[in-house]
This record gives sequence, C-alpha cells and structure tokens, in this order.
Amino acid sequence: MLEAIGAGLAALLTPQAILFMFIGVIYGLVIGILPGLGGVVAMALLLPFTYGFEKAATLALLLGAHIATIWGDSVTSILFSVPGSAKGLALCFDGYPMTKQGQAKRALAASATGALMGGIIGAVFLALCIPLIRPVILALGPSEYLMMALWGLTVIATFSEGSLMKGLIASLLGVLVAFIGTDVVTATPRFTFGSEFLMDGISFPVAMIGLFAVSEMMKLAIKGTPIVDRSLVKEVSTVWQGVMDAVRHWWLVVRSSLLGLWIGVLPGVGASVAGLAAYAQAVQTSKTPERFGKGAVEGVIAPDATMGANEGGGLMPTLAFGIPGGESMAILLVAFIGLGVVPGPDMLTKNLDLVFSMVWIIVIANIVVTVIGLAICPALARLPTLHANLMVPIVLSVCFVGAYATRSRIEDVVVAAVFGVLGYVMDKYRYSRANFVSGMVLAVMIERNLHISLTLYGKDFLLQRPIALAMLAFVLFTAALPFFRTWRRDRKRALAT
Amino acid sequence: MSRRTQDNLVAAVLLAVFAGVIWLCQDFGPRARMIPLPLAIFGLILTAIQIVWQNLRSTDELRMHMIAVPAPDSTGARPVPVPESKPAVGRGPSWREEAGAMGVVLVLLALVLLLGPIPAVFLFTGGYFVITRHYSLRAGVIYTAVFTAATYLLFFVALEIQPYHGILAPLFAQ
Repeated sequence: MLEAIGAGLAALLTPQAILFMFIGVIYGLVIGILPGLGGVVAMALLLPFTYGFEKAATLALLLGAHIATIWGDSVTSILFSVPGSAKGLALCFDGYPMTKQGQAKRALAASATGALMGGIIGAVFLALCIPLIRPVILALGPSEYLMMALWGLTVIATFSEGSLMKGLIASLLGVLVAFIGTDVVTATPRFTFGSEFLMDGISFPVAMIGLFAVSEMMKLAIKGTPIVDRSLVKEVSTVWQGVMDAVRHWWLVVRSSLLGLWIGVLPGVGASVAGLAAYAQAVQTSKTPERFGKGAVEGVIAPDATMGANEGGGLMPTLAFGIPGGESMAILLVAFIGLGVVPGPDMLTKNLDLVFSMVWIIVIANIVVTVIGLAICPALARLPTLHANLMVPIVLSVCFVGAYATRSRIEDVVVAAVFGVLGYVMDKYRYSRANFVSGMVLAVMIERNLHISLTLYGKDFLLQRPIALAMLAFVLFTAALPFFRTWRRDRKRALAT
Repeated sequence: MSRRTQDNLVAAVLLAVFAGVIWLCQDFGPRARMIPLPLAIFGLILTAIQIVWQNLRSTDELRMHMIAVPAPDSTGARPVPVPESKPAVGRGPSWREEAGAMGVVLVLLALVLLLGPIPAVFLFTGGYFVITRHYSLRAGVIYTAVFTAATYLLFFVALEIQPYHGILAPLFAQ
C-alpha cells in the first residue's frame, strides 16, 4: 500500500504531469469563472486531449480542471449571482449579498479556503477507504458487478433531478445509444443502418461534447444578452479576512465535508444536492440563523467545503464499482475507458498506484487552485461584465474542432451537433442528461458482465450466486420504493381531503 | 403550443425510438439482443406510462425531492430564512429564439463540412462577432484571427490532428 502511495506521487512528478496539472487548473478556473460553463463542460471539452499521454498526466489534466471549476463556479455565484452550474446555487444566497456589501474579496477567499479544506478531507477519506473496501471489491464476481451496474442505473434515476420516470427513460436511452456499433461478443452490427462510421459506435467523448458543451452554448445563444452586468461596489474587505473565516469555522468545514463525502458516495446524488444540503445544515446548526441570506460567511464556507469533499466521495463508487457519482464522474469514467483503465478489482490491484495518483491530484490541485484563487481574488472582485456573444462562437468552435480531433473523423462533428440538439431538448423537458451519460457508461459494464456470468455459470447464474440474487432483490426494492412512497403520499393526501 | 403538448411530442418521439429498437432487435441473434431488447421493451412501457401520467396529473407529482428545506412550523424548529438574492429566472425561450440557436449550430456544422474546421472557425467566429455587433469590424477580425491561429496551433500543430479540407476542397484545388 505504502509503495502504491509513493508510486502514485512519483507518477505526478514527471514534467508532463506537472505541466498538465497546471494547464488543467488554469483552464478549469477560466471555464469555471465563465458563467454558463461548468465543470462538466470543461471536462467534456478536454476529452479529445486525453489520448496518447501518460495516464497520470491525463488524469492530472482532467481532475485538475474539474477541481478548479468547482471553485470557478463559486466565483460567478458569489460575484454575479449566476451559478455556473446547479451546484453553485447555494452560494448565491449569501455570497452575492456579501459582494453587494463590498465584501467580495472576503467571500471569494472564504470560499476558496473552504473548498481547499473540504478537498483535502475528501482526499484523505478516499485514501483511507481503499484498504477497507479492497477485500469487498475483490470478493465480487461478474454477476455481482452486473447487479451493481443495474443498481447504479436505477438508483441514479431515482435520485436525479426532475421526474423519476423521465430519469429512468433517459438512463435506458443512454444504454441503447451505447449499443450502437458492432457488438464485441457476437460481432453483430447493431443499429448501424449499414453505415460504416456507426460500426465503430458513438464516440463517448463526442457525445459528451454535444450533450453538455454544445447544448449549453445553444442556451447561451438564446440568451444573447450580457450574462452578467453589474455595477461595482467599493471593497471594504480583505482576502486574509476570508481565509481566517474558513479557519475559524473549522468545525462547520468538517461537518460540511462529511456531508459532502456521504452525498458523493451515493451514486447519482450530485454536487447540486450537496451544496443545498450543506447550506441547509449550516443554517440549522447556526446560533444566529437570521443572518443567513443577508451575507453570512458561513453560507459561503459550508457549500464550498461540501463540494470540495464531494469529489473524494464521488471517486469511491466510480473507481471501485464503475458507478459514476454524478455527471463529472461519468465523464471521468469515459476518460478511463479511453485510457484502457477498467474500474473495479483491477483498479485496486493492478492500478492501485493510479488510484493514489488521483488522491494526490485532488490534494495538489486543491492547493494550486486555492493559491491561484487567493492571488486573483482582488482582480476578480473588480470583474464587471461578461457577454454571451463572446463565448458562444469561441466555445462552439472548440466543441466542433474537438469533436473532429477525437478520431479525426468528420462524421463526429455531425454526431456532436446531433447530441447538442438532443442535450438541449433533454434539458428543456427535464430528461436528465446525467442519467443518459450514466446509462451509456454502465451499458458496457452490464453487457460484459452478463455475458461473462452466462459463460461461467450458465443461464441460472443468479441461483448459483446468492449474493447476486440478494443484490437483484435490493435493486428491485430500491427501484420500487419511490413509486411506493409516491403512492402512499397520495393516499394520505386523499384521505386527508 | 402548450408545455403539455410539447411534453407529449417528446414522449411520442421516445416511444417511436423504443419501438424502433424493438423492431430492429428482431434481426439480431439471441445473444446480441439479450440486453437491448428487454431494455427497449421496458423503455417503451415506461414512456407509455409517462404519457398517460403526464396527461392525467401534474408532472410535479412524479418528482423526487432529496432535500426539503424545512418551512417554518409550529413545532419549535428553526426556520430557514428565505435568501435575499435568488438567481434570476427569466421567461422561457420562444420558438424563434430556439430555432435561432439551432441555426447557429447548423451554420457552423455546414461550414465545417464544406470548408473544413479551420476556415469554418474563422468565418463563424468572425461572422458571429460582426453580426451580433459585439466588436467593431476591425477588432472582430483581429480577435478572430488570433483565436483561429490558436485553435490551429493547438489542434493541428501540437496535437498533430489530420486536417480535413471540406467537401468543397476539390473545387478549390482546381
């Protein structure tokens, strides 16, 4: 184990890995600070660049960018009350009032320090979990992994935003889209309509670029107006005040981080829920809850600490079971597939050093983001305006060139455009894009493990694997539970009236 | 068109997709259709239920709320103050605006297919800046040229991506 910890760090000390992490962090900060572009867009746009480099360096690029966007998202919520993504919503409640009171520097610094402390707690948790979860993972066979993937599919839909039924439909649609191409087991071309291009299947990175980045640009193009336009207020706070605020409220940071870890571990419950949950617990546990909503610094620290820790928690099910904790983890899984890294037992045996590289990346990237963040806080506090008309053509162009660059096939540009429209429609009618992506990723795991189970144990593999059978019962129970709850609630309501 | 009609249209398209998958699966061998077929049938059933559901009752009733911020009550529990600042929620986009956004994507797609990525990026970005009057013509052209050069250097020089010259390339070659 200690050897893997050392090897994980050593892999990050190569010039390529160090350079990639810095590029990732700076890129992530820029993307995060641009309203409307969140961590998912940042990661989707990076996917074409993840081939042909060292594994640790590629992960440093992706995770570094992702971690930087977490704080970048917070910046737009605090300065403009425009969350870069749903997870930044909770920061608008107190961050923006602080900005209006001339305390933008303090809010930004408290947010960066809170995220750093949360991020480190998350990384430590991930490192501590590995030896504990290793025996469990190694005891599971393909049948259990099949059940795990099915559970991931249903539980992600259950906990996703919006309608449960639509969540399940989106997951199923994602699974079916992943089956486009030649079936690796039977060599049957599926849903290819005779197209040679579709024989290779839909490229996951291209689909991600379309679903998230192109569709987000369509939304911005519709806006067309300045995304943010504010009058500047005279600053009366300092960066140091914000840092000390986070340190002074260390117990709030620890509580919020633990909440973030727990939410991160639950598959499908993303950081958007984590931020709001952290805010709610900060209010509930405060001795002066009346200050919240009017510029309480605790309302900034708690969501950021939670979102920082959320990453460590989210990586656990992603690495151990191949079940993504949220949209960004699903994209990370896509990158793993591209790198030839298979989550599951291999991750905790053959690739253990890579897992520890990720733990180190979380720690180092969080420190780098905080140092850069604190340095640029004063400049950010003076940021007056940003316009959609500047971002749309630039990001859309990068999306299309990036889609082409993935496999040097022009048809991928068409796929990105089609998935862009699909992503827009799904977002508008509340068919969760996160579920769709999770479905795409889990499809591979479901089909592979089913075929292996059938080959190893025959058609009645469930009867031969009692743990898998028990897991199936659990899957059915968790899938039915929300429907039962809705039915019971309706019945109670009907009886009351 | 009402929101419910739009929802029904989307659900109908999904229903057709799942039905199409079931139909296509008939041509596959038993192992190749082992997963897609049952999932498509499940999807078809769920979509049919969704259509019935959304027409009989409010869609909100199907939503799962992970976190309910407790409202003030008489049990002595502390109320959560309503935040002063909420992110601005605007009106929904009109079909013209949506068609415009789709048009933007289609224009760039057409340019990439016809001319190849780099000329397309230059024309699209420059055109967008000029049409939206975000920059003056001169500033727009300068920024566009810088951005296009950066894109070219990153993708086609640093990453050594094989260039695509577009459907119109043979015409220019002549």
